[in-house]
Amino acid sequence: MILIQIILIALLVGVFARLMSGRGSSRTNAYKKVALVLFVVAAIVAVLFPSLLTILAHALGVGRGADLLLYGLTVVVIFQLLNGYIKDKEQQQRFVRLARKVAIIEATEKYQRK
Amino acid sequence: MRKNKSTPTINAAIIIPAYNEGSAVRETVDAIPSKFTRIVCVNDGSSDDTLEQLQKTRAEIISHPINLGQGAALQTGIEYALTNPNIKYLVTYDADGQHRIEDVKSMLKYIQANKVDIVLGSRFLGKTENMPWVKGVILKLAVWFSNITTGVKLTDTHNGLRVMNRHAAERMQLKMPDFAHASEIIDRIAEEKLSYAEVPVTIVYTDYSRAKGQSMINSINIVFDVLLGKVVKK
Repeated sequence: MILIQIILIALLVGVFARLMSGRGSSRTNAYKKVALVLFVVAAIVAVLFPSLLTILAHALGVGRGADLLLYGLTVVVIFQLLNGYIKDKEQQQRFVRLARKVAIIEATEKYQRK
Repeated sequence: MRKNKSTPTINAAIIIPAYNEGSAVRETVDAIPSKFTRIVCVNDGSSDDTLEQLQKTRAEIISHPINLGQGAALQTGIEYALTNPNIKYLVTYDADGQHRIEDVKSMLKYIQANKVDIVLGSRFLGKTENMPWVKGVILKLAVWFSNITTGVKLTDTHNGLRVMNRHAAERMQLKMPDFAHASEIIDRIAEEKLSYAEVPVTIVYTDYSRAKGQSMINSINIVFDVLLGKVVKK
């Protein structure tokens, strides 16, 4: 095993342990954990046998395994950006509703007790 | 007009969102005749003396604890006004003094006579006083953009003066907090199949309202917000 493989696997195991320890009992969380296990196993296999990635790349019509990785990464980043945008808007809506409720309660007390 | 004389008060609430309008809002409210008994001002977390100025008027004040944007302020005013079952019509009115109360009267008369859900003011059917030409061009572009994306045919899409009945008000549910709410109201007219009409109004462009009005560059932001909003909806 070369040094970079040891480093990458150590990092992957670290990330895995950190994410798995997150509490949360909902169904989506369970699915996320299953997906995470699959992802980490695939990542470790790819680190140990880089040629597998190249074989997969060829099968998909991509020249090199590294290119395939880059494409995958690009998709993930774009997905994350969009996800972040939607989450941000949702958060903003909750925020607005809370502040509005406070304002209306305050005004109702002030004007409708007269 | 005759009807107004027989009934001393008008069962409409005038909703005025105000964000840092301290130098104009008092004059705007005071210019509204007393037969409009309900004036609801939404102070949108202003950092100037808007609240102090409003407290000197007869308006009911709702204060957002933080700045949420004009669309959010309108929605707050609408929800608050709807809590009073005597209110039959809701009027949205800008704080900077660019609207004329005569127009509100003619719009109220129109909505009562024609039984539509919402009446929108149009400066392009009516008159504008001292409108900068760049603003005219951008507003016309906005109208064109809105007409092709929503299917609601209007001559003026970004006019702050509107009169709606309770049915329309209940369905507004504005979610875009900032200036994109003008487009959102039109979207809602289309989605909820509200009946609508335009009535000519006069917009008075004073130096103050010109300096206060949203910067033209912001219209680009609005276009993106509206488009992205359409993409990510549901």
